[in-house]
Amino acid sequence: MFVDFFYKLKDHGIPVNPTGFLTLHKALSLGLIGSLEDFYTASRTILVKSERYFDRFDQVFAHHFEGTQLPEEAAVEISEMAKILLEQWLKDPETVSKILGMDASEASKLTPEELIEYFKARLKEQTGAHHGGSKWIGTGGTSPVGHSGYHPGGMRVAGVSRNKSAVKVAMERRYKDYSRSGPLSQALIGEALKRLRHMIPEGPKDQVNIDETLYQTMKNAGEIEIVFERSLKDRLKVILAIDNGGWSMDPYIPVVQTLFDYARAQFKDLKTYFFHNTIYDNLWEDPTRYKRPQKVDELIRFDPETRFIVVGDASMAPYELMATDGSIHLEERSGRPSIERLKAIAETFPHSVWLNPVPSRLWGYTRTIAAIARIFPMFELTLDGLEKAVAHLMAKK
Amino acid sequence: MKKETRPRFTGATRYVLDDELARIVNISMALEMPLLMKGEPGTGKTMLAHAIAESLKMPLIVLNVKSSMKLVDALYQYDTLTRLNDSRFGDSSRDVSNIEEYIKMGKIGQAFQSDVRTVLLIDEIDKADTDFQDDMLDVLDQMEFDIIEIDKTIRAKHRPVIIITSNAKKDLSDPFLGRCNFHHIAFPDPKMMREIIHVHFPHIESDLLENAVETFYRLREIDGIEKKPATRELINWIRALEADPDFKPKRLKKGEIPFLGVLFKKSRDYAHANALIHRRRLY
Repeated sequence: MFVDFFYKLKDHGIPVNPTGFLTLHKALSLGLIGSLEDFYTASRTILVKSERYFDRFDQVFAHHFEGTQLPEEAAVEISEMAKILLEQWLKDPETVSKILGMDASEASKLTPEELIEYFKARLKEQTGAHHGGSKWIGTGGTSPVGHSGYHPGGMRVAGVSRNKSAVKVAMERRYKDYSRSGPLSQALIGEALKRLRHMIPEGPKDQVNIDETLYQTMKNAGEIEIVFERSLKDRLKVILAIDNGGWSMDPYIPVVQTLFDYARAQFKDLKTYFFHNTIYDNLWEDPTRYKRPQKVDELIRFDPETRFIVVGDASMAPYELMATDGSIHLEERSGRPSIERLKAIAETFPHSVWLNPVPSRLWGYTRTIAAIARIFPMFELTLDGLEKAVAHLMAKK
Repeated sequence: MKKETRPRFTGATRYVLDDELARIVNISMALEMPLLMKGEPGTGKTMLAHAIAESLKMPLIVLNVKSSMKLVDALYQYDTLTRLNDSRFGDSSRDVSNIEEYIKMGKIGQAFQSDVRTVLLIDEIDKADTDFQDDMLDVLDQMEFDIIEIDKTIRAKHRPVIIITSNAKKDLSDPFLGRCNFHHIAFPDPKMMREIIHVHFPHIESDLLENAVETFYRLREIDGIEKKPATRELINWIRALEADPDFKPKRLKKGEIPFLGVLFKKSRDYAHANALIHRRRLY
């Protein structure tokens, strides 16, 4: 029974194991499960071991028992956006149609369904483009169809599950905010900070703790038992380099900055620099990338033990990375391709990572991401990615 | 049906229970599996164990896990120091040659030896290292452990109801998770929160309740807060508001929020929230 359901969970990346499946059957045979609601709670509590997968579980459950459609990940975003567009459209058709570059009177002839299809088509086009060109749907920008319209600000939790069918409960997607795949947002700062707290160096266990030694020796009835503890180590130095050019990075910059700002006390030194798309001759201390440059050549003077963290989408035209005069800013063209610069930085700082807000399943489609990932170990800018990145930064070389 | 004879958990006097959680607790008890509870601080993970013990009338044994804890500490202690003392001075009634007299049971040992079924709460398991967690689950699986010093096996007389809580500071290992049932307590929604407050303040004025809960959820929505105020903070806050004779619930609506320090415990959070509130009031 329910073998299909079990494999469907597995296929959707929820780590379920056969032991759990057998336990579920034990629960069934004990007569503990009398309804679909019982089955929903029981199967979730037995099979799913982390709240991060609750959302995925809800979707699979609703799909399996009610036949709701399992959304493709990208499609959800787009249809959500299209919905927002439609709402905006109903309020203020003129502005929206102006931004979309369509004739308002012509558009008003379309039915809502047609309109949504049209929006979707436009949105799909949009996902391909990068800097320059069609900027009409910037995230967090001044455009009325911005991202922030639908982005949930805080944790939303649906009501108490009384008198509701399990499928309905599952379809509510109450655990969306806990899902591990979403990008880092302000709501997740607390969780992310916990990950960052692991960035504390550990010395070797080479100091004798005298009190503890005495105590343990006594406990051992006089047999000497020497207790060692870790020697203290100085706190870490961290350099944070953020790509703040182009709207694609906009939603993530404040999050990353707040995050490291909160954690500042645990570092000995935290420097933040900015760049656009990729690093050429200079990094900039000011977000406008104009006043206070830091020559990349001089980075070599810093402590090589410094943790170098780059945050950027690493998406650009290949020539920006590879060509000798790649920079889109004239004053930055010095004759060395950016990729050489990146290699030099990675060599200077053996502990370095690149955090990328682009989901990793899309990395293969962008040549520059692949190229940079060969230089810097690249991690997603998600809770999971952050955790892995911190583990990587703290690993002994 | 057998179902009727089984002890079932339906809530307690100081604890507001939702149906889903009640089902999970009952399933875990019937399957005799430990229940692992995760969730934000202040969602009542620890309170749940207290509530179960109260409603099923079982004694509650609490094991507070500490980071330096070894599994043996939770099982039993061999009090060598007393034995050494006794053997030197010999002024106690204990028999020095009988090691068993110097074995003291730890929390898990007590739960195993109890003559009635107990509720065993293992609080904040994530503080301990992975070895502790895995070894402990072995013991809880087998329901027995050996006292090496006297070569004796302690078997559980009754299988305790085991509740484990975790604050998700560290991830738990897969084998550990495999042996537990899992539930994540989401933060209560305003409706639930009102019921919780009612349980704690049966005579609260509805005006104060409404305004306090509303303000509380608004404050929780502030972005970039490291430690969001939780149920415990809200309860303390309401207690503070009630105690203040000058306080009028209407003032909350105007955006005047006294005792902000009760809600935000980190200085940076406090400053951030305070600044936001003042800015809002100007407009």
